[in-house]
Amino acid sequence: MRNVTRRYGWELLLVVLIGLAGIWSSTLSPYFLDPVNLLSSAQFFVIFSLMAFGLFPIVVQGEIDISLASTLAVGSVLFGQLSVAGVPLVMALPVVLGACAILGAVNGFLVAYAGLPSLAVTLGTLGAYRGLAYILAGDVGVTGITPDYLQLASTWVGIVPLAVVMVLVVAVFFWLLMARTAFGRYSYAIGNSAGASLMAGVPVPRTRVLAYTLAGAMAGLAGLVWVSQYQSARGDNADGSILFVLTAVVLGGVSIKGGSGRALGVLLAIILLGTIQTGMKLANVPGTSQTLVIGALLVGSIGIPRSIQLFRQKFGRNKPRASVRPAATVA
Amino acid sequence: MTSTSTDQPRKTLPARLGLSGGAAALKVRFIGVIVFLALLGIAFSALTPRFATLDNGRSILFTAAILAVAAVGQAIVVLTGNLDLSVGAIMGMAAYVIYDIAGQNPVLQPYVVVLAILLGAILGAFNGFLVAVLQIPSIVATLGTLSIYRGFVSFYANATEVTSGQLPPWMRMLATASWFGLPAYVWVALAIVITTAVALRVLPWGRKIYAYGSNPKAARFFGLNSTRIIIGAYVAAGIIAAIAGLLLGAQVGNINSLLASGFEMQVLAAVVIGGVSIWGGSGSVYGAAVGAIVLATINNGLVLLQVQEYYRLLIQGAAIVAAVAVDALVQRRIHSATTRRRIMEVVE
Amino acid sequence: MFTLTRQSSRRIGAAALAVVAGIVLAACSSTAPTSNSAGSTADANSLKIFMAPKFTGLAYFEVARVGGEQAAEDVGFEFQYIGSDKPEATEQIATITNAIPQKPSALVVSAIDGDAVAPSLKQARDAGIKVVTYDADAAVDSRDLFINQLSYQLAAETMLDAALLNSPDGGQVAFISASPTAPNHTAHVKIMKELIDSDERYSSLSYIDTVQFAGDDATKSQEIALNLIQANPDLKVIISSSAVSAPAAQQAIINAGKTGQVFATGFALPSSVSDFIESGASKAFALWDPAELGYVATVAAYQLATGEITAEEGQVIDAGKAGKYTVGKDGEVLYDKPLMFTADNIADYDF
Repeated sequence: MRNVTRRYGWELLLVVLIGLAGIWSSTLSPYFLDPVNLLSSAQFFVIFSLMAFGLFPIVVQGEIDISLASTLAVGSVLFGQLSVAGVPLVMALPVVLGACAILGAVNGFLVAYAGLPSLAVTLGTLGAYRGLAYILAGDVGVTGITPDYLQLASTWVGIVPLAVVMVLVVAVFFWLLMARTAFGRYSYAIGNSAGASLMAGVPVPRTRVLAYTLAGAMAGLAGLVWVSQYQSARGDNADGSILFVLTAVVLGGVSIKGGSGRALGVLLAIILLGTIQTGMKLANVPGTSQTLVIGALLVGSIGIPRSIQLFRQKFGRNKPRASVRPAATVA
Repeated sequence: MTSTSTDQPRKTLPARLGLSGGAAALKVRFIGVIVFLALLGIAFSALTPRFATLDNGRSILFTAAILAVAAVGQAIVVLTGNLDLSVGAIMGMAAYVIYDIAGQNPVLQPYVVVLAILLGAILGAFNGFLVAVLQIPSIVATLGTLSIYRGFVSFYANATEVTSGQLPPWMRMLATASWFGLPAYVWVALAIVITTAVALRVLPWGRKIYAYGSNPKAARFFGLNSTRIIIGAYVAAGIIAAIAGLLLGAQVGNINSLLASGFEMQVLAAVVIGGVSIWGGSGSVYGAAVGAIVLATINNGLVLLQVQEYYRLLIQGAAIVAAVAVDALVQRRIHSATTRRRIMEVVE
Repeated sequence: MFTLTRQSSRRIGAAALAVVAGIVLAACSSTAPTSNSAGSTADANSLKIFMAPKFTGLAYFEVARVGGEQAAEDVGFEFQYIGSDKPEATEQIATITNAIPQKPSALVVSAIDGDAVAPSLKQARDAGIKVVTYDADAAVDSRDLFINQLSYQLAAETMLDAALLNSPDGGQVAFISASPTAPNHTAHVKIMKELIDSDERYSSLSYIDTVQFAGDDATKSQEIALNLIQANPDLKVIISSSAVSAPAAQQAIINAGKTGQVFATGFALPSSVSDFIESGASKAFALWDPAELGYVATVAAYQLATGEITAEEGQVIDAGKAGKYTVGKDGEVLYDKPLMFTADNIADYDF
């Protein structure tokens, strides 16, 4: 039992926080505890979840991709254009996913084979892909998307929106991918030490490119959901949402230094953020307080456990201060 | 991660290999940015006669001035191997809060810079505390403070504006003044760039920043106090960002709570184009300043050529990728003997 | 690379996927489930109306909010101002989605992306909530009424009139828009170009074809204004229908020392341009009264909720002291009261 609490400590903390947030939200607003409303609010977080799961293996590998929201925009605009051009849905899906996967792969190649810093590369492609989306969308964006392209958002499984089911399937997929496959093992190894992994025969560049390609495809999938939910395909789709995505991944216990983190944590983090945001929105909390709360949550959730740990080290037991700090462990 | 305060997974990369080689790379890289700027200038001059005029040069420098100041602050933090994503929020908070207070208490108007230094130091110290003491990875910590600082400004502002009439007259004069043929802002920016560069070079604190950034482990081994170095870097960056905020506020005139939101991307772009290694330890504040001028030149040239906004995004993005690619190439040449590792060779 | 390391997990994964797929196929439907929580009926005494601006934190929307609050006070209903402080479509969609279960009688919305928010507005209408847009419209079938501050035509004419007040001899004008996806800005520019091409009154003007986009960002507006001045030595007037860009451009002109040679104009709050007009740097800016616009939109929402009007063409909205307005085609109501701020009257406005 102790082992479980230790190993899944972060996830347990998230579950507790979700519980607290749920109680808080239901006191804030009487409308919170309605399953239908909750599920329809959940729908809103699908797009961020898909991008967060895409980003997850990249962060585990110790890299980052801030261009995903721009990739989403390319995907949504392309999807819109294909719809207007009368391309059948079954053909449009692979085209969009493929195109976005290629955009992801470009990031991957620049990072893995050219050895460029991922933050700088994806800062560049963040702008470049956004420009591409605007060029594809034209001046006013794509309008007149045909109904068959919108099915994803207008299908329910019982009372659960299909898109929410999709997120659960994606979560399971990423859990298996990271916990049970060679790709997953390689990713954690690379995140802990890329150099050592290389020596040990891990195909480092290939694994990296694969992670970026997968992330691109996930952003493309998010683009499909975007179009079906919002019937809008414009160059500025999802602009600025990468901060929320990154917040979800980090809050999920995925160390931004690489090497640790689990799919379950990412899912729980999204549920936590979703609970808080939905609660505050239902209670019509002013927007400024919402921004403050999310920021404080991000800093506090990592900072408070860390300061307790530091406090204990300093005053709890009079251990002599080591010259090298103990390695920080997030998860 | 590429931007952490502690053990970096990428120790094998050229950026980590000693100071002397790094210094050589730095020089080559700086010349590289200048050459790139010159090529841009030549290209735009060939394409439009309106580009190569004195007046246009002035206006490029004027637009670049504030970005250059902010980039210099960011460069200090990046040199330690960290990031400051809250730079835009600090700028916005300094501009709104300080001008609002000074607008209501005219006695304080001569001292807005002092207030900015104070506020910037506090905000920067908080960032530094999170990164150095609590050891929260900088990208996460400053992402959080970005929301907190920005949330505070909109809370404080309550959807009102500070209008240009409320600004201290001397700051408004500074925004429009011209000294020795150049806008006053350009001189102010130049002064801040040079002061920072000299401080980094002369003060022990500055040398420690380079030492720490190029190899945090070794620096700690030799007894450098990493906590103090990182907090110092963030405090300096916070102060510089707050001053940049004052300058921006006076330039814009009407200040709302959204001022400078998203500015962090521009600042990071300037720093990266200017050849400051995102892995820390290598690069110069001059480079960062020139990076700001490169961005301003691209924007200016494209408006002169009547190019649509979409292409500007595309070209800026490509410029960033090209800049880091050149970085990697230059550093690889210099350390060719030591960096022939499989991971790097595949591309060649 | 995706090879599974353990045989058993492959089976677990396959089984999980099969179960999920089975459930999904068995239970798929294409009708939205409805909440069974008790909803309030449109009782005039317990009416509540929510106003959602594009995003909170902009002075312009704050003025409109005051109008809405005034309407609530005059007529007597509950009024709430909701929204996120982030200028993002997803945020506004979340705001609207979460407003629905609170069962307001009506929503008064300025759409940040008219297409993207449409599905959530339709959802609101399906739940029996009346939807009125003001300032920026959403897709026609997603709202009952659109209170249009100025018809695109009148807006374009007003801005060109303001340009001529600044530069009576005409000359070259340039346009700064918020974004290529802002439909009202795009339409304004298009009509202004047509007017300059065809209308006698504006024949002394000429224009630069390329439109620049500043995304309602003051810093970027200034940079673009400065670059436009550099690029076009004959430039006389910079026009923007963004209340952020227009004053920022004027400030950029002052900063560049071009006061009196180049002018900025367009739509702006009087408080943000009073310094320019009082100092003579600019002769005229235009707008409408956002408070009255908010008032009319909120009153219209109230009358829809009580059933006094049904948004049919030809019906009249009586907004008391704010005037009477007739519903036009496609539920569009023209407010159409432009204000021109000049040195003579700028002191009279306090917003």
